Amino acid sequence: MMALITEKKGCVMSNRDLEYYQKMIEGDKQSLEAIYDKYEKLLYSFVIKLSSDHSLAEEVLQEVFIKLWTQKAKYDNTKGKFSSWIVTITRYTAIDIIRSKKESVSLEEETDVPEEQSESVEDLVEWKEKSSTIRKALDQLSDEQRKIVDLFYFKGCSQSVIAKECDLPLGTVKGRLRLALKHLRKNLATVKGGIRDA
Amino acid sequence: MRECEKVLDYFNDELSEGEKEQFERHLESCEDCREEIEELRSLTDDLPFSSEPVDPPEGMKDRVLGAVFAEEETEEKSQEEENVVPLEQHLEQDSSREVDRPTRSNRQAWLMRGLAAALVASLVGNVFALTGGEETVSEPPAVESTDQVNQRVSLEGESTPARASAAMIRQNGSQLLTLQAEQLEPLQGDEVYQVWLLNGDEPYRAGTFVANQNGEGAVAFSMDQLPSELDWDAVAISKEPNAQSQTPQGEVILSSSL
Repeated sequence: MMALITEKKGCVMSNRDLEYYQKMIEGDKQSLEAIYDKYEKLLYSFVIKLSSDHSLAEEVLQEVFIKLWTQKAKYDNTKGKFSSWIVTITRYTAIDIIRSKKESVSLEEETDVPEEQSESVEDLVEWKEKSSTIRKALDQLSDEQRKIVDLFYFKGCSQSVIAKECDLPLGTVKGRLRLALKHLRKNLATVKGGIRDA
Repeated sequence: MRECEKVLDYFNDELSEGEKEQFERHLESCEDCREEIEELRSLTDDLPFSSEPVDPPEGMKDRVLGAVFAEEETEEKSQEEENVVPLEQHLEQDSSREVDRPTRSNRQAWLMRGLAAALVASLVGNVFALTGGEETVSEPPAVESTDQVNQRVSLEGESTPARASAAMIRQNGSQLLTLQAEQLEPLQGDEVYQVWLLNGDEPYRAGTFVANQNGEGAVAFSMDQLPSELDWDAVAISKEPNAQSQTPQGEVILSSSL
């Protein structure tokens, strides 16, 4: 039942996103503003997770919304949800900007999340729904698996860097990563199931 | 490295341009790799939502959207004959700042009245102040050191702290009007600052610009676009609802006789 409601909400939301997006393409500034308002905090928080750099996060967001507005990046609704698309664009933009600055943040350093907030993720239903389950699912991974996911996805490291950091032969990185991600997916299903039962 | 080993580096955009092209050709024929990439996408899809909420800093929305819409402005305007030039930090022509401010002439009062007749209250939907700054697309034309300054004036206005100086420069047989302004009020929506040259009562467009977040703006305008036989009596800056005004629609904020 719960899953059904969630599905429905997600569906309604992405339809509205599509509506905003289409109006934005026609040059409607209010629609871009609406998209901005909806995703500002998620994208900002996401980039900070990727880079732990506040000034960079603002730069990344600016670049993302320029890409959106000037249609250098185009959303195709047949290929998935708008939210997935905009976080993907944000991730690549962040990786790009981080790389171009060559400010190699030491991988050993624990990323501390500054000015962390209370629980409320009021802005975005999808975030609210998913955040705690994903965090729980990530917590259930072994340290090694969490590390490989972190290096690959959040730090955007190359295969050879991951091999070095995790002390793995180059050829095994992909297999380990896929295993970790599948494990994560399984955890996610269990966590969700747990909530449903409760 | 075999092509199939490059899936992760392709996903993370770590390949060089050449490698990327090669891998994309490989993708066309390798279903396994396509599936792996798709799988990586779907498996990582939810990860951004694990981010701990962090409050964006004060004013970020205005800055970001300001820059976004400014980007559009500059792109649009670069299609046109005149440039809308947000002021770069380091403009050449610094010498024009050393001018003594001339005394205000009677002409000024006349000018303000004359243009006031053409004024229409100008307010369009408030969107965002343009912040300009780093997002500059077009650069002011480079000016050679052999340029000769023919005339230089300071522009003043009654109801604004803004100041500007303008200079007419002879460059390779052409006349260039350069103008720098500071302490400008932020603009709203599509508003721009428009420079006018006046021949008698007749205003001619002489460059459009926006202010950056420090309230600075500048323009370099080739006067070859104007009828060469005319004598110019005055230079003025007005705030216009957009960059299309053929005559002053908005308030004249600064002016000087020539």
